[in-house]
Amino acid sequence: MIKNTANPIFSSYEKKDALYDEIFDENDEVRDVYKKLFELYSGLSSNDFGTLNEKAKATFFNQGITFQVYSDAKAQEKIFPFDLFPRIIDATEWETIEKGVLQRSKALNLFLHDVYHDKKIIKEGIVPLDLISSSSNYLQSMMGIDPPGGIYNHISGTDLIKHSDGHYYVLEDNIRCPSGVSYVMCNRNALKKALFGVFNHYDIHTVTDYAENLLEILESVKPNGVDIPTVVVITPGIYNSAYYEHSYLAKTIGIELVEGRDLFVENDFVYMKTISGPKRVDVIYRRIDDTFLDPLEFRSDSAIGVPGLFAAYKKGNVTIVNAPGTGVADDKAIYTYMPDIIKYYLDEEPILKNVHTYHCSREDDLKYVLENIDKLVIKPVDEAGGYGISIGNKLTKEEIKQVQEVIKKEPRKYIAQPIMSLSVHATFIEDENSFEQRHVDLRTFTLLGNQKDFVLKGGLTRVALKKGNLIVNSSQGGGSKDTWILKNK
Amino acid sequence: MLARVANNLYWMGRYIERAEHTARFLKVNYFSSLDAPNKLSQSRQFVLQSIYQMVGETMFINDTLEEETVLFNVGLNSEKTYSILNSVKNARENANSSRDLISTEFYESINKFYHHVMNYPSDVLVKSGLYDFTSTITEHTAILRGKIRGTLLHDEIYALIMLGINIERATQIIRIIKTKFDDAHKAIGGYANPVKNSYEWTTLLKCAESYDMMRRLYKKSPTQLSTLEFLILNPSCPRSVMNSLNQIYTNICTIDNAKIFDKDSPAFLIGKMRAEYEFKTIEEIQINVQNFIEKTSQLLFSIGFKLENEYFYV
Repeated sequence: MIKNTANPIFSSYEKKDALYDEIFDENDEVRDVYKKLFELYSGLSSNDFGTLNEKAKATFFNQGITFQVYSDAKAQEKIFPFDLFPRIIDATEWETIEKGVLQRSKALNLFLHDVYHDKKIIKEGIVPLDLISSSSNYLQSMMGIDPPGGIYNHISGTDLIKHSDGHYYVLEDNIRCPSGVSYVMCNRNALKKALFGVFNHYDIHTVTDYAENLLEILESVKPNGVDIPTVVVITPGIYNSAYYEHSYLAKTIGIELVEGRDLFVENDFVYMKTISGPKRVDVIYRRIDDTFLDPLEFRSDSAIGVPGLFAAYKKGNVTIVNAPGTGVADDKAIYTYMPDIIKYYLDEEPILKNVHTYHCSREDDLKYVLENIDKLVIKPVDEAGGYGISIGNKLTKEEIKQVQEVIKKEPRKYIAQPIMSLSVHATFIEDENSFEQRHVDLRTFTLLGNQKDFVLKGGLTRVALKKGNLIVNSSQGGGSKDTWILKNK
Repeated sequence: MLARVANNLYWMGRYIERAEHTARFLKVNYFSSLDAPNKLSQSRQFVLQSIYQMVGETMFINDTLEEETVLFNVGLNSEKTYSILNSVKNARENANSSRDLISTEFYESINKFYHHVMNYPSDVLVKSGLYDFTSTITEHTAILRGKIRGTLLHDEIYALIMLGINIERATQIIRIIKTKFDDAHKAIGGYANPVKNSYEWTTLLKCAESYDMMRRLYKKSPTQLSTLEFLILNPSCPRSVMNSLNQIYTNICTIDNAKIFDKDSPAFLIGKMRAEYEFKTIEEIQINVQNFIEKTSQLLFSIGFKLENEYFYV
């Protein structure tokens, strides 16, 4: 319980000392950046907060910022839980994050170019060959292709956590189709509506410039010979769980949202079917996985792709964003080599820390992992969305045995990391009608283009809403918070 | 604009308008029958049959109908394609797939509308909520039209939605006229000239929210002649077929900006129909009303058909 607070909504706030609390320091004092906000909130009762919370939820619901849950035959629409207590990051701290994520994105881009060309990093023995060749996300057909501007990972989402030592660590790099950026905007909007008064007291970076920067990036990688490119977003369709984001992006950028069936390829050029006949498409921001992009090149049963798209891409007549085959570099096994990759290509020290990782493919590591499962988090290397993760100290003896068996069968498929203690943030818990500590992480969004880059000054702070839970993914019951980056004073 | 999305916008307009017409027809027929001047117009079976005829339910023509079943089917039955619920659902689904092109404000309204209808308890509708239910449908659709007019660029997106709305409006008005025309022939009551002065003409005007406008213009009880003239030919009546045709023409010209239309194009067909109706007289229609109604609905159908072939399937 924290002491000396006259604040009624925090009177029952239970602060565990072993965890890094984003709001209260080790002496239970409110950290500087939160002082003003804390003061402003102290005028509110928990019932006031409950009401504001309901209103914010209604806004999300009415605007259709929802995802579908299928239960008892009837599809239900649910909103992504949103918390009204924003996360605040000061200017100095942010500067490090911004530099760090940009450094990683650039290094990953060079790595991808190398992997699909000369493979120098492998020849020099820095990254083992079998890590690449055994990865299901490695696309042989990308060999030798030069994407416009030399960019592979135009859009990267980097997941960061703050450990109990107060330092940021990168948890993973997402460079396939990272999602969540629309929620950054929606959260900001919802918070502005619910608590407009607090914004006068803080000087915060806007997040609305993402769309224009994204368009510039997309246009900067137009195919050779195109003057003003036609850019589109491709979505699997309205039943996809991220459809809201796809439509939001298309709307805010001001470009067409297409489905595979709206496009066709003729003589290796891509066209969309419009009311005034076919129109050539130059840049495709795809929100479809690699394997579904083109049934002629990849999975032949893909109904959401465009037959012939890859051939057009190979000829340089269309740009695909992110490039196919980027998945090979956001593999969790590659993650562990990130410090080496950064040093190799950029000749710089990594700005952001990596979590130490044990590779089950290495004999010594495997031995350590099998003996210390209770102290580790076990992750499959190629799953996204928080699936397949086992957290050692939450397992029963029986479950530990099962995990050991699974790892032994396919060691290459698994890595292990020490159980990191994600920082906690005060979060309004509806059922308790009060604030409680919940674990949070941070996803940042970085854009790389031809002679241009951009890091969104903000991010998606994801909250694990279940008490004690460490997995923040929305598919696993996570919520989110607005994230404020303060301007330099 | 993408052909698929154009199709979605067009059908969104149609379904919004359809929901409204169905709701108004349901409301007006039901409530006006309660104090109708003759026995048949008051009869429950007569009204329920009329409602079924309007929505195109043909399965139960000779059956004795149950009031609650009819109200549920037309209002909230998700298994009936003609139900208001399905129209709203389809409208919103079409809005979903063109969400990047429509305004946030408009989407929010259609989304609220959808949730309102989806959560409306069916037992309330059939027992006591008919007035409330149908009134809120017409209110919501009015809000939607306002948001379409006020929050969207008046470009081809707007034109496509308005095209859908107006084609549907003309089609529904003709459907309602047809149903009431048949009713008037069945409900021969206490007037001197039974069909021509039937109470059903008043009901018809109310179904089209045009009774007050019509009284202002003609200052007399509506007759068959004056009602049809008003609802079909008067370009100033916002619900008339003529008014819809004018709007359809304006909108198709936004989409197809050829100076001279190809004679197989929808724009040509619309222009031709509009020109013909502009100079039609009620006396010509009077010669064979039934025939005229049939012909009008066929023409509207063929315009819809041509539009789909020309713009929506490449």
